[in-house]
Amino acid sequence: MTASENKKTKQTGPRGIRQTMSDLHIWAGLLVGWVLYAMFITGTVSYFKEEISQWMRPELAHQRVVPDAAEVAPRVARELQQLAPDSPQWSMRMPDERNNVVSTFWRAPSTENGRRVFGSAVFDPATGLKVDGRETNGGEFFYRFHFQFHYMPVLWARWLASFCAMFMLVAIVSGVITHKKIFVDFFTFRWGKGQRSWLDAHNVLSVLGLPFHAMITYTGLVTLMMMTMPWGNSAVINTPSDRQALQAQMSSFLPAPKPSGEKLELAPLTGMVQQAQARWGTHNIGNITVNLAGDAHAQVTITPSEAGRVSHSPQYMLFNGVTGELREVKDHVGGAAETRGVMFALHLGRFADTTLRWLYFLVSLAGTAMVGTGLVMWTVKRRSKLPNPQKPYFGFWLVERLNIAAIAGLSIAMAGMLWANRLLPLALDKRAEWEIHSFFIIWGVTLLWAMLRPAKRAWVELLWAACAALALLPLLNVLTTDRPLWHSVLSDDWSFAGLELSLWALAALHALLAVRTLRHQPKSKPQPRFRAVVTPNTEDTQKAAP
Amino acid sequence: MNHLAVSLLSLLAFTLLVLSMDRHQQDLLGHELPASQSRILRRGGWLALLASLVMAVAAKGWSFGLVSWCGHLSLSAGVVVLATIAWERRKAVK
Amino acid sequence: MSLRMIGTPRAALAKARQVGPLLSRIVAAIGGGYALAALTSIAAVLLPMDKFQGVLTGMMLSFIVYVGAVIWVFAVRSATRAWVGLLVAAIPLALASWPVWNGVNAA
Repeated sequence: MTASENKKTKQTGPRGIRQTMSDLHIWAGLLVGWVLYAMFITGTVSYFKEEISQWMRPELAHQRVVPDAAEVAPRVARELQQLAPDSPQWSMRMPDERNNVVSTFWRAPSTENGRRVFGSAVFDPATGLKVDGRETNGGEFFYRFHFQFHYMPVLWARWLASFCAMFMLVAIVSGVITHKKIFVDFFTFRWGKGQRSWLDAHNVLSVLGLPFHAMITYTGLVTLMMMTMPWGNSAVINTPSDRQALQAQMSSFLPAPKPSGEKLELAPLTGMVQQAQARWGTHNIGNITVNLAGDAHAQVTITPSEAGRVSHSPQYMLFNGVTGELREVKDHVGGAAETRGVMFALHLGRFADTTLRWLYFLVSLAGTAMVGTGLVMWTVKRRSKLPNPQKPYFGFWLVERLNIAAIAGLSIAMAGMLWANRLLPLALDKRAEWEIHSFFIIWGVTLLWAMLRPAKRAWVELLWAACAALALLPLLNVLTTDRPLWHSVLSDDWSFAGLELSLWALAALHALLAVRTLRHQPKSKPQPRFRAVVTPNTEDTQKAAP
Repeated sequence: MNHLAVSLLSLLAFTLLVLSMDRHQQDLLGHELPASQSRILRRGGWLALLASLVMAVAAKGWSFGLVSWCGHLSLSAGVVVLATIAWERRKAVK
Repeated sequence: MSLRMIGTPRAALAKARQVGPLLSRIVAAIGGGYALAALTSIAAVLLPMDKFQGVLTGMMLSFIVYVGAVIWVFAVRSATRAWVGLLVAAIPLALASWPVWNGVNAA
């Protein structure tokens, strides 16, 4: 540090703020690093979850033209009314450019031990019938995992996700304070040799995506804020009407009114959808929610597509379900509610067109790599201080093995789920759940592998395994479906083709990492002079190497 | 088309800004440029940044435009930084 | 640092003195920070806007307060200062939150 730099940094004590912030950054990052990595990578791929879902439902043909919502809605409504008669509320999401299915859910009429029961299904927009193909959750699994993980109660999972996000925010701010110079001297990274290259990679990835990382972390916290910071809410929102009013600022879901008991047929949805299309555009229809279908008090709510606006604040048209006449148009909310809506939208990125979506994906991938390099750096830095690198203390051993499984192992598990999607028998009971079980089983195996093999070998082997798992997926697809890559390219099916080409690109990335890891020479603690001749892998051998 | 324009403008902007800095002139060109030239490069860089913002917002409105602009900035900054590092490494090897 | 080193009570006390301030800061950061954030989310209802916007604003501001508190706790010279700082910040927030929590604010 130069004299001028010394004046700039706040010297609050013997250690200095940059050093304490560095320590805080390292510990905050390490303690939740593995969970954060998993959240980051599943969040990253979730930007293309619709495309992943399409690939995982190969029986459903490529959608060349987005069907008219006014035709699709009544088809699916007919099926839903048979599937879930007397359901107080069902909802369907219209197909769009990236979605070739109609996703629906409904509330069961009765409750199970007082708790609401939901059903869900996926429909073919062309026929209105349930999708005739393999049972799968598609890319939705990665999306849900991102903030709800799996095998744990939803509330606990969301608290864990929020906890980690808070740590991430602390890591970001402390990281910025540690490297305040970054704003003064933005482009001057020295690509150091050996150990420093890890730090430089971490820095480059962190700084270049800093606006994104800060935005995504903060907006992520906002998405769960009703659960994590309910105090203001508890203090002043006490009556049912108040609760509904607050809900109305945040969501287009209207609670089902009380049924009249009088049975009246639901008006055809076509007319209502067409009114919505007149207001928002033919292909800008989002969700259609029907409350009390078949009852005199039926209501239909139609929302615009999320792709059309940079906000999740509620907007809807509310219709009388029996007559089909428009009752209410909601198109704005209060300032804070709109801010919240924009934050949601920025996090989810559903408004993004293809180019912007790729930007989101790439910068998010950089963020994933940021967390990954940070985790690896911890072991690289500390290895050089180990008295005996072959027998590290337990904490180091644990961090190193968890790193391998959390990073390389996770890639294998994610690819593995796509393998399971192609290989599991179509008639398997609870097939969708078994795809998910496969993911976790494979991940567990990689952890075992990481614990049993020498660390560096485990890294290289698992990275190569990930490369193979990703690269062979298009081949597996050729062998198990009738939608080979060349066919997708020739028929302009860029969802399918794009995904498979991306798998190859990711495979290449893992190969690159495997090669670099193999070449990496760890620096060991300088040995006392009388042992210099005997011990291998010292600085001498490093200098000797070209 | 608009994405391409915004992207190229922000690439240009960061390239100009990098070249306007003494440290990088030393590394990339071998010598420092006179202050007046650095000033022109710096102003050009900021102008290009502004132009890319205008392009993004004019075509897509404030919401989409701002988000699109930020995304392109991140990517362009990344490309320019990595290119700078790669160039300096190549020069160091020679 | 292994457990073997804590042999005598004096050694244990020395260890506690070493670790104590750090633990104190961790509690201050995680627990105290959350408390400050929670108070912020309640006090924000007093802002000049209807209570629904106030509730939402409070939630969104709380995370900024939380991260600020955590940074403060580790930036200052001692654990004691960390706690003092948190308390100093908490007092006006608590004073503002009290009427809100007890329903005096009927906006």
